[in-house]
Amino acid sequence: MDLSYTADEEQFRTELRDWLAANIPVEWAEAGFWRSLDDAESFRLRREWEASKTAAGFSGIQWPTEYGGRGGTPGMKAIYDEEMVRAHAPQTVNTLGLTFLAPTVMAIGTPEQKAEIIGPMLRNEVIWCQGFSEPGAGSDLAAVATRGVRDGDDYVVNGQKIWTTNAMHGDKIFTIVRTEQGSERHKGLSMMLIDMNQPGVEARPLKQMSGASEFGEVFFTDARVPVKDCLGEIGQGWRTAMLLLSFERGASGVGQYTEFRRQYDEIVEQMRRFGRSDDPVARQKLAHCLVELECLRYHAMHILTQVEQGRDLGSESSMTKLQWSETFQDLWEAFDDVLGPEASLERPRPDVDLAPFQAQAMWSRSVTIWGGSSQVQRNIVAERVLGLPR
Amino acid sequence: MFFALTDEQQAFAETVRDFVADRFDLDAVRAVVEDPDGDGHPLTLWKGLADQGALAVLVPEEHDGLGLGLLDAQVIARELGRAVAPGPWTTSVLAAEALRLAGSPAQQAAWLPGLAAGETVGTVALRGEAGSWDGRGITVDASGERLSGTASPVDYPAVAGLFVVAATDAEGAPGLYLVEAGAQGLAIRDQRTYDGTARVGAVELADTPAELLTGGTLSGGDAVAALMARGAVLTAADLVGGAREALTRTIDYDRDRKQFGVPVGSFQAIKHTMADLHVGVTMAEHAVLFAAHALDTDDPGADIAVAVAKAKAAEAAWNATGAMIQFFGGIGFTWEHEAHFFYKRARRRAPLFGSADEHRERLAVLTMD
Repeated sequence: MDLSYTADEEQFRTELRDWLAANIPVEWAEAGFWRSLDDAESFRLRREWEASKTAAGFSGIQWPTEYGGRGGTPGMKAIYDEEMVRAHAPQTVNTLGLTFLAPTVMAIGTPEQKAEIIGPMLRNEVIWCQGFSEPGAGSDLAAVATRGVRDGDDYVVNGQKIWTTNAMHGDKIFTIVRTEQGSERHKGLSMMLIDMNQPGVEARPLKQMSGASEFGEVFFTDARVPVKDCLGEIGQGWRTAMLLLSFERGASGVGQYTEFRRQYDEIVEQMRRFGRSDDPVARQKLAHCLVELECLRYHAMHILTQVEQGRDLGSESSMTKLQWSETFQDLWEAFDDVLGPEASLERPRPDVDLAPFQAQAMWSRSVTIWGGSSQVQRNIVAERVLGLPR
Repeated sequence: MFFALTDEQQAFAETVRDFVADRFDLDAVRAVVEDPDGDGHPLTLWKGLADQGALAVLVPEEHDGLGLGLLDAQVIARELGRAVAPGPWTTSVLAAEALRLAGSPAQQAAWLPGLAAGETVGTVALRGEAGSWDGRGITVDASGERLSGTASPVDYPAVAGLFVVAATDAEGAPGLYLVEAGAQGLAIRDQRTYDGTARVGAVELADTPAELLTGGTLSGGDAVAALMARGAVLTAADLVGGAREALTRTIDYDRDRKQFGVPVGSFQAIKHTMADLHVGVTMAEHAVLFAAHALDTDDPGADIAVAVAKAKAAEAAWNATGAMIQFFGGIGFTWEHEAHFFYKRARRRAPLFGSADEHRERLAVLTMD
């Protein structure tokens, strides 16, 4: 066991921490700050700030320098995730592009695609959405019905995508389209890079149970996509999609732990404020969450080790997803157990604003659904890790 | 970042695993379980473990030990838990740890080589009936170097040659004391347990001559707390080993067992439970590794790490061994089947050195007060 980072990695931490300290306004760390802005203003602020971070050399941490990345190590990426949370840095506005699309383009994109996609994405000049889920294709992704028909040098695309993060802010969307008419399931699909700023594409917000609109719907009505904007081979969209999703298997747990652990401490603070920290049942419930949170931290170190050793994580990422999402949800249920009736009040006292807490509590219902529901993850663990029969 | 066992530590684990599988299989375990009047201390296993260095693992090299850390010791504990192996390994290793942490050079020289070689069996008596596992549960009083009171439950007192007893002196200060087998006023009362892979008794002391462990790195309440923490981690490792083996056996069975014309393991009700158990046991394995390393390196977060490991391991072991009975179905509830070895061992050990509830309360103290 050696839980330290290398000297280079610690040097990177120092540089990043200094930059973040100098470039994040103090008020951004206040609980209600981001909620006080309207959606467009919040997005604009985050978009510009992140672009300045890129200019300072603190984006694309693990990406090769030829793509504008920093050429760093997996350890540096883990440190980056941790420090961003510690500094109350705003969340990225291009998460799906940065996490999934960019590494896929680096792996299988044409030289033109590499040049046109990666740099502008890193500088937030182009915001990317992901077009996978459809009303009839949720957990069963291969049921995709959105179709594309060849017309000269273009495909003409019709159909609907749903649960699209940043749908209202997106410039382009990487989309699974059925390009072979009459094909079924995993066959005959293609990964299309579709310009959302055209008459044939309409995005509509979806109001979530929390009241926020992180997700939206995207409708394609005779949308036109040049053939050159297909990523990977035509008809091999499923393979491209699986490659793309494999990039989720990084060491993001270090940052998640840091964030959730801070939330735990904030809940404890409220627990004390409302005189509930002596309640033995509340203490047990919250301490149970701490056990699971600490396990997430150890698991993140295990995963980082695997990545550094060059091992393929395979279906282990399903275990990571289960651990973090179920723990996060339990933590925010414990919030209500701990506070009792006060937990549901935005202003239980004139000087106490619990709205940011309630926003997290409501958001926690979504995390066991998106990115592969807990039920799908359990199937994957049972079948691919434990070898139980289908 | 290297959060894993080294190749050497993995090889050590395999050596112990192969040895136990080869020399002490489940039939041998059953013989011990079905002989409750026996001492539960098979010498073939004990001598073999001594030959492997499994008893010397934490003892410093100057006292004929291997001078390794808790991370290495938990490797052995896990394998013994996996094999539901009987015998006083955990408690004897802890007695040696008490000497290493709190004993004078002379006390160490007198006892550690014998404990390392397995010539002496040690045991620890750290709390009494209804007492907590944090030093407040001590029920033995020290008057100078004479002890009175009853400690319980104590593992393998009948075969122990050396007892490390936690006692409170006239000023109320806790400390660790050595009592030799056969000492005046020392009586062992067999308490019997449903866990046939262990033998347990009460240690009754009546003005019994003892020797205070003193002159070492730690003393008093610090020594008691350090020993409790090590006991918690080694018990957690044993629990995790048993949990992993129970889960593996259950999955193997449910992959083949057919009902309604298909393997029962193809039903999602079973799959999802197995997936959750696998995640839980895996997290418990991580937690034990981290806690052992934290104690080895005096990590400032060691208190939290130990409480997390014991709470998580107890829960994972109870869940996985209970599921073993459930998912083997009726056969899993029979005496002939081995499921009850795993279940009873987990159920008995779960509260030792602090239950999951007690360790969660410890976390509450550390983070909420």
